[in-house]
Amino acid sequence: MFKRFAFGGVAPFVAVLLCTVLGLALENYLKYVIAIALVSMLIGVALVVLVGLARCITLASGAVMAIGAYTSTLLMTRVGIPYLIGLVCAAATGALAGWLIALPGTRFRGHNLAMVTLVFQAVAIILLREAKWLTGGAEGIHVPQPVIFGWRVANDADFLLLIGLLSAVAILLLSILVRGPFGKNLQAASGNEIAAEAFGISVPAYLRAAFVISSMAVGFSGALAAPRIRILDPESFGVLPSIFMLAYPIVGGMQSVWGGLLGGGGLRILPEFLRPVADFQELFFASLVIAVVMFFPGGMVELLRRSTGRLFSRTNKQLAGEAPPLPAIIPAEPIAHVAPTMPANSSEVLLRVEGIDRHFGALHAVNAASITVPVGGIHGLIGPNGAGKTSLFNIISGFLEAEQGDIDFAGTSLLDRPARDRIALGITRTFQHVAVFGQLSCLENVIIGRGRNAVVDSIKQSFDHFVGGRAAEAAIREALAALDAVGLADQASKPASSLSLGNQRRLELARAIVSNPRLILLDEPVSGLASDEVEELRQLLSRTSAERQIAMLVVEHNIPFVAKLCRTLSVMGSGAIVAEGNPKEVITRPGVRQLYFGEQTAA
Amino acid sequence: MSALRVTDLWVSYGQVAAVRGLSLHVEPGEAVVLLGPNGAGKTSAVEAICGFVPKRRGKVEFLGEDISGLSASTIARKGLGFVPQWRDLFSTFSVEETLVAAEAAARRRKPTPIEDIYALFPVLRERKAQLAGSLSGGEQQMLAIGRALVTNPKLLLLDEPSAGLASGITLALVQSINRVRESGVAILLVEQNMEIARAIGERCCMLAAGDLAWQGSMKEAIERNEAARVYFGEH
Amino acid sequence: MLVELGLVLIAGLKFGAIYALAALGLVVVHKATKTVNFAHGAFAMLGAFASFLIVVQWEWPYWTAYLLIPITIGAVAALLEFVILRPLRRADMFTVVIATVFLGIALGEAFRLTYNTELLAVPGMFAGSPFVYWGVIITQETLWVIAGALVTAVGCVIVFRYGKLGRGMRAMAASVRGAQICGYSVDQVYMVAWCLGGALAGLAGVFVAPIAGVSVELSIAVITAGFVAGVLGGFDSLKGAILGGLLLGVIESLAAAYISSAMKNCVSFFLLFFVLMWRPEGLFPEKVARRV
Repeated sequence: MFKRFAFGGVAPFVAVLLCTVLGLALENYLKYVIAIALVSMLIGVALVVLVGLARCITLASGAVMAIGAYTSTLLMTRVGIPYLIGLVCAAATGALAGWLIALPGTRFRGHNLAMVTLVFQAVAIILLREAKWLTGGAEGIHVPQPVIFGWRVANDADFLLLIGLLSAVAILLLSILVRGPFGKNLQAASGNEIAAEAFGISVPAYLRAAFVISSMAVGFSGALAAPRIRILDPESFGVLPSIFMLAYPIVGGMQSVWGGLLGGGGLRILPEFLRPVADFQELFFASLVIAVVMFFPGGMVELLRRSTGRLFSRTNKQLAGEAPPLPAIIPAEPIAHVAPTMPANSSEVLLRVEGIDRHFGALHAVNAASITVPVGGIHGLIGPNGAGKTSLFNIISGFLEAEQGDIDFAGTSLLDRPARDRIALGITRTFQHVAVFGQLSCLENVIIGRGRNAVVDSIKQSFDHFVGGRAAEAAIREALAALDAVGLADQASKPASSLSLGNQRRLELARAIVSNPRLILLDEPVSGLASDEVEELRQLLSRTSAERQIAMLVVEHNIPFVAKLCRTLSVMGSGAIVAEGNPKEVITRPGVRQLYFGEQTAA
Repeated sequence: MSALRVTDLWVSYGQVAAVRGLSLHVEPGEAVVLLGPNGAGKTSAVEAICGFVPKRRGKVEFLGEDISGLSASTIARKGLGFVPQWRDLFSTFSVEETLVAAEAAARRRKPTPIEDIYALFPVLRERKAQLAGSLSGGEQQMLAIGRALVTNPKLLLLDEPSAGLASGITLALVQSINRVRESGVAILLVEQNMEIARAIGERCCMLAAGDLAWQGSMKEAIERNEAARVYFGEH
Repeated sequence: MLVELGLVLIAGLKFGAIYALAALGLVVVHKATKTVNFAHGAFAMLGAFASFLIVVQWEWPYWTAYLLIPITIGAVAALLEFVILRPLRRADMFTVVIATVFLGIALGEAFRLTYNTELLAVPGMFAGSPFVYWGVIITQETLWVIAGALVTAVGCVIVFRYGKLGRGMRAMAASVRGAQICGYSVDQVYMVAWCLGGALAGLAGVFVAPIAGVSVELSIAVITAGFVAGVLGGFDSLKGAILGGLLLGVIESLAAAYISSAMKNCVSFFLLFFVLMWRPEGLFPEKVARRV
């Protein structure tokens, strides 16, 4: 069971411990520097989660750190609570602060979010300063030396040891989350919201979790650093330090744990080397960030990877956060499908869309549209531009609400159900503008397609993934099988963005079939493909549907493709279904021709 | 010298090659239609010609001058008028303000007097003070064409002007486009609707999956039922 | 009692007028370029600093500060747009926010390096005897700030609405492609927008220098106030920016007087929070026509 113990996940933990050991061998001042740098490394990793993976700009890190530091210190001095418990409480209050910021934070991004966090930061510091009776105000409070089970943490070596051990553990925990399904789902959520929702990832929930987890770690780090700083005053957690912490993930590399370590540790130690030009430090840092953002968006991690090239390609991949090399698991037996209860030519209806109506202002976009898709059948939907196909499709897939009508899927009504519920019901989809999660590997993309992507589930799965548990192995096995079915097994560890369009469409299909759905909704699946690729994809779709008993609803403009693939066809015009039946027969009808070409005079 | 000459145009969006080696030309005063089903690359081709989308390969010459690689606003200032598929009007401007804004930008080129635009589209004169966003679809289309005409273009590119319009309006649309051509402006029309294409175009280029599938005179296209072949496969 | 209220309101209007100017600059840039310039506050700080140089250091006549500084800061802003923002034109909002945030920091640090004191003091333009209306004392400086800032702001809105300069920006704000079709150059319009935004920020800095002094904190205060005022007004509305600024100034002043001075800043937070959550289109949004 521990075969697949993820080396990659432990490496940062080991690195932090090594830094600690190294520091213990050096002189006292360096012990202090390294201790502070370790705390910054923890902050860096925490911010990689929020700023890098979730792509949320936060200017409030200083305030969160202050909240953690003051919590543990006040509990120690006022209530006499031991330090370790104080640390836990600091994490809790940090999490609470994160949750508060997330309330408006998940509603808007970009500059609105940045400003909300900036104002939170300013207000928190002001409150800390004003509540003199509690916090000692601007004069600050003195942090007593922690005592842990009789061990008094007093000198530099003690502090380094304490900080080193605790931050290593915290970084390990964060590492597990970042590298596991939680981190991948978070990247998916911030990378392509619509595709994420279609596969059961609730974007608001994940962003909230990112805020809470990240702030928990930052609060914890504040409490960790407090005894070493010795005197807490609100100003040292002000806006400027807050903004500079933002530089950690940006300069280090936003997508991986190593980025947080390198950015946090590196930027914290840099001032030591910039002693002669100490005044210019902040200016240097700010200019550095601007330069990174303009010219080296991947940060230090990306620079390292490029310069060491293929020499350490495997390590580099792990530095950049890619999946570790795959185990040699070849599925011994084919994946058990849901046994078909009906023969292939079943006439039992799987999806019944009835009387769907939808307006956009004065435009009657969808007019009493009805479609049926039989179990295991392939049904096409065509029509000229502006006919309403996309609107109807979005209603069926849950991204648009219908005003009237019903959608029945094997006895369950889909109306009023959000898009993210579909996968659990057995419906998946593909996208007209291919929506793979570019930063993730093909394997990771398909694993997301399995569903069961609620936040709590993904956190559990991340720990399972770390110890190489059975569930994680099953996930990988199923995903590999799906990739194999579409002919992409050899691309499993490549990032999805590096694939050609044709292969990305296959990847989308693999992602759509891995959960053994009963219905796949395909939105212009061959848009942009050359004619030989179109034929290949048609054969693949046909084969997949037959072998796995999956019904398909296909919206397309390429009529010869649809005619060959689909058993039945609906034609839409001006919002209404104007024809349906056997494809070859339908497209020769004069009414359909007229839809595309207008009135035909005798040719 | 052609009004517009496109040679071996390739346009890609990342992985997708939307246009593969398209070549066509429009002579001064001529009306050419670019036909094809959706996803054929018509809009991509036209947007690349106008400078909104970068081209991967190929050359575009306007009135003998190589405009490949110039910015969209520079190309517009040279006299290439564009009416995009969803019109891109200024929804918070009134009809008059829209035309005035276009005139102000074109001052150096000797713009078409706004009165002439109103003469071409009397309904716009009636709605002078109305906000562009509250006009009907047909009126918006006329305003979009009028706005493009203000810059006194030698060639007018229209991308599916009939999209989203009720069939009754299309007659008026066709008439106005023909009147524009009669005043000496060359037309390159992108359309899916054969009826409109037939009423306006003299020559026809058919695009399918990014490739030029056929080109010839409009008369020939109708006789040989080319559209059906391109749209529906062998039929 | 009423006199006290009068004083509070006047103080509120004074700050409000400056917030209005700050918000206006921010909203102009956002309207034209769809980006929020987080270095806007730093431009105001530079304006205040330049005012210190002109008035205190070089002892030029005060009016030269009001004339030269907006022009200079406007030019600096246009230059920065060209050097930093233009290469980032195709980048996503995240990258642009980060870039402008750190640009603001860099500018602040550059200032701090030239003058190593925490706070520089600048005298007001008018020092004569104050006016008294119904027992409410209004200094000449206060009157000047309120009148001057508001007149400038309103003038700016008029120019934007009717002038040729504004037309390109308004067109681009309404539809980037539509504006390009008419022949408006994106490069030119964006640069002009930044220039105008920078000029307004610089001017706000000159007005605020005698009141708050020149410091790095000024930069944070101005971007925060400008942003919140802009949000209050509905971020794309110019007249909303002015009204939002005045409203913010008055509310803060009332809070400082009747609750506590520290609560003044919390006011921004709560206002921002509530408006973004429950009326994101702002309290004074511009008319929005139906989607084309």
